[in-house]
Amino acid sequence: MTTAPASTPAATWPREQPPPAGVVMLARAEWPASPGDVLPPIPGFILSSFSPLVVEVARRCLSLYFGAAPADPARGERTAVVLASSTGDIATAAAIAKAVDEGRRVQPLLFFQSNPNASVGYLTARWGLAGPVVCTVPDGDAMSDARHCASLLIEGGDADAVLIILADQARDPTQNDHGVGLLIGPRSWPAAAGGLDFPPG
Amino acid sequence: MRWPGPGVASLERGTPALGRGTPRAISGPGTARGPQQVVITGMSAVSAAGRGLDVVRDSVLSGTPAFSGVARFDTGHCRTSVAAQLPGEPDLAGELTQVIEAAWTGAALGNDVRAGCPLLLALHSSPVAARDPDARQVTGDTAATVAGRCGLRPVPRTYMTACVAASTAVIDAATMIVTGHASRVVVAAGFLVDADSFALFDAGRALAADGQVRPFSAGRQGLLLGDGLAAVVLESGAAAAGRDAPVAAVLAGWGRSGDAYHVCQPRPDGSGLARAVEAALSRARADRAEISYVNANGAGTQYADSSEAAALHTSLGPYAALTPVSSTKSVHGHALEASGLLELVVTVLALQAGRLPVNAGYLAPDKECELDLVLGPGREPRGRYALNLNAAFGGANTALLVEAA
Repeated sequence: MTTAPASTPAATWPREQPPPAGVVMLARAEWPASPGDVLPPIPGFILSSFSPLVVEVARRCLSLYFGAAPADPARGERTAVVLASSTGDIATAAAIAKAVDEGRRVQPLLFFQSNPNASVGYLTARWGLAGPVVCTVPDGDAMSDARHCASLLIEGGDADAVLIILADQARDPTQNDHGVGLLIGPRSWPAAAGGLDFPPG
Repeated sequence: MRWPGPGVASLERGTPALGRGTPRAISGPGTARGPQQVVITGMSAVSAAGRGLDVVRDSVLSGTPAFSGVARFDTGHCRTSVAAQLPGEPDLAGELTQVIEAAWTGAALGNDVRAGCPLLLALHSSPVAARDPDARQVTGDTAATVAGRCGLRPVPRTYMTACVAASTAVIDAATMIVTGHASRVVVAAGFLVDADSFALFDAGRALAADGQVRPFSAGRQGLLLGDGLAAVVLESGAAAAGRDAPVAAVLAGWGRSGDAYHVCQPRPDGSGLARAVEAALSRARADRAEISYVNANGAGTQYADSSEAAALHTSLGPYAALTPVSSTKSVHGHALEASGLLELVVTVLALQAGRLPVNAGYLAPDKECELDLVLGPGREPRGRYALNLNAAFGGANTALLVEAA
């Protein structure tokens, strides 16, 4: 679990594919970021790396912009979360199925983490993000589809900023999980230290 | 290329459907009206009561719970053994295909526009995929199968936002329409009670041990799962008027919010859900006094029902005590990711029928839930709008405001 991925989705935003008017990229992070990168465990979440991955890429991304948690209330209340996972939490789903097939009781903690909303609830509570929550399993390019969802939230007036999280679990133990966190928001928001903008493609 | 517009529906911009004809005067002044208003032109639903709008409507208006002992799988290792289920072992893709076809037919749409119509889908994780080491996604191949069978555009994503998955898909579809990115969107959702989800909710001690769902009632013990599928065709008012389409209801407003509070519990004061309600009212430019009925999330759990009651008091103020409320989960059970769409269809059916669904299972008042509950059949709506609420794990909330056509 230490090799950086060969490709980094949304590392750039091509000029010909601009974001909604007035929206800029405020921060971006990913996991793993370097060889030997590790996922901190989350209390109450077991067996699967999915929720730790979601929470860690969110923490890295939000820390770049807001510093330590929580976000300032004015911006946090208008920040939505889009969690797009091409795989979903396959490890938790498999653990539940195994228990059922073996006639065992399912571990109660799996109830709480069985839906992707749980990890989003964990991070939004800590960061004070009170915008809408959208969790999807995209069928095609995950970042492209997550941008669709983020665009709907902003264009529809439901949020000013969106934390986009991509989180994919590897089924093959020789492969890495991979996560990307991307915070987009209005150009009028104060820039982060060493602020980001959508880089040219 | 450009920033990909919502649903890549920019292809539909400027199509004849958007600019053709004059929007039907569906309602009077005071709401957000115009060519981009959103109307429901077709809908269909399935619950444990049966397949089709008539049987689903009759079950909620009479307040007849559909719960019985589970026969579909073994519940021997569980604390409870009750759910609301269709007979036998229905096939999810097959059932979804049928509800979409029924909604499409109800909307009086021809086959010539199928290929251009987006389909948004909300599903629970697939027990088949969970057992397939080669499965690519937890949702399996249901979405691709259904879109292919129906001849609609490939599904861009499956919504898995727990119990607001389907209502979130409805809001995305409505946003696609009002922003001009689409003139018509099909939204469908389905959940069939399976051994995995049953064991999971049993393990979480979320299921009512007494075999009844009793929303907002003293003595409520939890939720019960129920089969549920639904589909709606949403269109711009202009597109519907341009083809003289039947209009079942107007989706007058919508709102969504997050609690920023907890992994799985709602904010006790209901302030997150209240913001969603206020956003829906604001978008519709509707007055809270005009709400004739609330189909509440009302899962039947202690903490969630009291939180929702608080949300209604916050958002509706003095009208909270005067507005009829029920949770149709007390009849058809909790359809998880599909619940928001099944309950939206039920709410429209109630407005059409001029009678309100019953809050079944009620035992006695709970001081934490002081609401005007619909406790028997036959009550009539007396306002213009009905509100459909859903809340989910992670503090996700949605509110859909519908108006009779």
